[in-house]
This record gives sequence, structure tokens and C-alpha cells, in this order.
Amino acid sequence: MNTTYDLIILGGGVAGMTSAIYGARANLRVLILDENACGGLVNWTKVVENMPSYTSIGGMELVERIQEQVEALGVDIEEAACIDAIDFSGEEKIIEADDTVYKAKAVIVATGRKPVPLEVAGECDNVHFCAICDGAAYKGKKVLVVGGGNSGFDEAIALLDQGIEELMLVEKMDTFFAAQSAQDELQSRPNSTISHSTEVTDVVYGEKLQSVTLRNVATNETIEHECDGIFVFMGQEPGTEVFEGQLSLDKQGYIDTDDLMKTSVAGVFAAGDVRQKKYRQITTAMADGTIAALEAERFIHSITE
Amino acid sequence: MSTITSIPKEHLDNFFASLSDAILFFHKELCPHCKNMEKVLIKFSAKAPSVEIFSIDSEIHPELMKKLSFERVPTLVFVRNGEVVKVHSGLMNPRELKTLHASL
Repeated sequence: MNTTYDLIILGGGVAGMTSAIYGARANLRVLILDENACGGLVNWTKVVENMPSYTSIGGMELVERIQEQVEALGVDIEEAACIDAIDFSGEEKIIEADDTVYKAKAVIVATGRKPVPLEVAGECDNVHFCAICDGAAYKGKKVLVVGGGNSGFDEAIALLDQGIEELMLVEKMDTFFAAQSAQDELQSRPNSTISHSTEVTDVVYGEKLQSVTLRNVATNETIEHECDGIFVFMGQEPGTEVFEGQLSLDKQGYIDTDDLMKTSVAGVFAAGDVRQKKYRQITTAMADGTIAALEAERFIHSITE
Repeated sequence: MSTITSIPKEHLDNFFASLSDAILFFHKELCPHCKNMEKVLIKFSAKAPSVEIFSIDSEIHPELMKKLSFERVPTLVFVRNGEVVKVHSGLMNPRELKTLHASL
């Protein structure tokens, strides 16, 4: 098996797959390595309505269509790939995954982000990050949703649709960040309550989860709130530990890049949610992926001419 | 969603008694963790072709979940010589799956 490529893309989300399309159309030999399934966070998005081309489309369906396009262009894709080591120090970029050594002239890092955990909860069978996966277990029970962004509100509605008896959504900040339509939808449900300026400070277990302690961050008042399960949607953070010492990262672990998606290492580019940036949307991921691939192509030509 | 073969009816009728070494993949449509787990199973299957892998849509067969005492997906049910020997809910990577399977 030939494991030497022109361009290796780490991460098969929208940014990575867009890069792959541009790379393949530039006649580069391209590989995508993803530790999960291609699609990244878009797989977790029930409905996408902000991307030009579809008024409304399911996240997984959108991913499938992009992946079909990528595969039709001859891009190799390795999903469920465990990345063991990387070495970006030489002219040839080296990535070890699944006991295989891959080499490339250029690399695009598009590994995205992963959910922020609820630190106070620790290990607990009753803390979840996916309403579709785990919501049915709480039919007729009480749940707490943590996070006042779009994910928090959308997943709360999905939980109620699965028969949750009583739902409370809390957000630590003094406002909710979800689309107003999602907020209105949840507030119209009779068995839900929402509170901003509220954080979880403790979790009480017996044989199973019994309650949480909620603190009003404005007044410092605390209350005990009974619940059977907690669903956490507190945003995302980058999983960039593997790049420490290889690439320049900011304090939060995001990869530093310039406007052309160049990292601190020549021949290594970053695109999408993993890079330090202000707006993280499907459309901005596509833009990043486009620029990264075009710059990678220029870089490859510059070292092979 | 799953591209892994759906479990044939005869295995359901005899509650897996005819399976010698199998993994049953309980999943849901539109479940992102299940989509990831499916890729892991496909990768595992390529390296362990003797292990039969079947998918079961948990929303079509909720009675099986109840009988096996779990409520979450993705869940893998490991069968050896017709007996359920392990039920595991949640994600694993291919190495973790290989290690777990070998330990049974």
C-alpha cells in the first residue's frame, strides 16, 4: 500500500472535505484521516439552514453529499483512524496512525473541536452529550440541560419530544445565545423552564444521580434541583494536544494561523474550528478549507519545481 | 444509516443461539455517536473477518434492548457460542474494541 501523499488532511469535517475537493481538483494525491466518521460537528446538527444551496437540510445528509463528492474525486479516506504520532519537523511530514506511517509534502489540520465537559460531574452514567443517543432513557423523568446556545436549546426540544417529564435549561452567562426561534419554541413548552446566570456547582449521587446544586451567579443564591439526568452542551474546545510542541497554539489550544491558513510550520496549514478565529460556521469552515488547499497546492509546487 | 448487515430474522427468533462469535450493533438513525461507532466496527471487521457483525435498529427492536437491560445507543452486544457475554454502551476506538473482544 502506497502511503505517501501530496497532501494529508487531518480531520474530515466540512473544512477538511472542502480542502480535499480543492486538492483533488488540483491533481494532488490526497488522503483524509479522521479519528471518527467524516462530517465532524455537522453530524450533530439536526438541521442546517444557514448554508447557501439548501433552504433546510439535515446535518448528516449534508455530510453524506459532501463525502460523496470527495470520494468521486478519488480522495482516499481513512475513518476511525487512531493517530499515534506526528512529526512536522522535516521537509516530509510524517503521521503515524493505526500502525501505518503516512508521509506527505503538505498537511492541513482540520480536526475541529470536541464538547466541553461538565467538570463538576466527573464520571457519571447520567451525564450525556447527545439527546438522540441517550434521551429515550429519560422518558417520563426529569433532566437538566446545561448550555444556552443553539445546541442547548435544540437538544432540549429534542429531549422533550422524546417524552421528558420535566426539563430545566441553565446558562451561566447573563443571556442566552441561541436563535430566538429556538428560545421561543422551548419557552412554549409547558414542562420546561430556562434560567440564565445559573451554574451547576455540585452533583449529588446516591446509587444514581439524585440532584444538582445550582448557583445564581448574580445573587450567589443556591438551590437543590432534583433531576435524573444531565445533558451538557457548553460549547466546544480543540483537541490539539497531539500538536503541542509541533505547532504554535494560543492559550485555549487553538492553532495560530495567518489569513492564508499558514501555521508556524512551513507546509502545515490549519482550517476550520481548530484554528484561532472569531466565527465558527459551516460557511467559514468551507472558506478556510478552500484557502488552506490553495495555499497547500502553491507550497507543494514551490518545493517540487 | 448502518451499512453493516441487518441481523437476519432467524437470529432474532432464537435469541442469537446460532451465533458463535458475533457483535450486535444497536443504533439509531441520526445518532452521531452511532455513525462513529459504525466506522469503528467496519475497521475492526476488516482485521477480524471471522467475527460476524450485525446491526439492529434500536427503534425497530426496543424489546431487545429491554430484554438485554440497556437503554442507550450505540451499544455493542457480544455473543459467544450462542450466549450474550458482554453488553457495552458508548464509543470505543478500534483498538479498544479489539482489546475488549479479545478479553471475552
